[in-house]
Amino acid sequence: MLNDAELLRYSRHLLLEDVGETGQLALKNAKVLIIGMGGLGSPASLYLAAAGIGHLVLSDFDSIEVSNLQRQITYQSDDVGDSKVEVTKRKLQQINPEIKVRSINKSMQADQLTMELTMADLVLDCTDNMQSRQLINKACVDAKVPLIVGAAIRFEGQLMFFDHSEADSPCYHCLFPSSEEQTLNCSNSGIIGPVVGTIGTLQALEVIKYFVGLPSGIKNKLKLFDGKTLDWQTFVINKDPTCKVCGHL
Amino acid sequence: MKIQVNEQVVEVADNTNIERLLLQLDKPLMGSAVAVNQEVITRSQWESYIINEGDNISLFQAIAGG
Repeated sequence: MLNDAELLRYSRHLLLEDVGETGQLALKNAKVLIIGMGGLGSPASLYLAAAGIGHLVLSDFDSIEVSNLQRQITYQSDDVGDSKVEVTKRKLQQINPEIKVRSINKSMQADQLTMELTMADLVLDCTDNMQSRQLINKACVDAKVPLIVGAAIRFEGQLMFFDHSEADSPCYHCLFPSSEEQTLNCSNSGIIGPVVGTIGTLQALEVIKYFVGLPSGIKNKLKLFDGKTLDWQTFVINKDPTCKVCGHL
Repeated sequence: MKIQVNEQVVEVADNTNIERLLLQLDKPLMGSAVAVNQEVITRSQWESYIINEGDNISLFQAIAGG
């Protein structure tokens, strides 16, 4: 049951046939791990906290730099030098004291990630490098935990959803099989704030839809966003039977 | 034969596979992803996948930023 404060706070959700009290309780019971509290993790965590995701775990090892403020909208100038997860945790609790927020202020290695996944219903990959993305993908495949991946540089965004609770699910590694390759990131390519914000916001939308039981429009698909034309392209991702990460499943 | 690559018309030889197309276009094999008619062709199929006349091919790069 939702208490009176929650009924008031989530009244605009409760008006929606697709959410209602059942959906809101599902959000309250949900446990979501967000890895990376930068330009994707900022809007994703703000929206998920506001929406009443009951258990949020935030992971990042960075402290806030002045060059982050152009796009990482959780942070303000006074926060420079402070830990991203600690500042985010404080702000999320200010937005919504009804939820539980836990912070992990370090770079998670495979062992800790595996342990965290035993407690997570769903993971958001909001990281900024290929090595972390491959590590997170493998851990989610092994733990059979659904994964929503966002990425952005310049005016371009990428969004995909893999439900690893399904045995025949493809994975991130089927699409991008190498972690060694030179990949584009915000530090070497630049990024427009609202582009990465759009992708992070859509990651949050997909989380809410997942827990209230709405089908995802991006499951086993890659969405490419062009921030200049506002065009979207959609590609189907099939499982690679020779994939080193998920091919044996 | 003619195909479309990222909305540009490109002329390729018959029996061109994806790997050869990337070489012909001078695109890096590492970090690239390829879709034919809105379906991703995983890297393990690049050698065996033969492109057909009129195929609509999308090439894009892995991006890691966030």
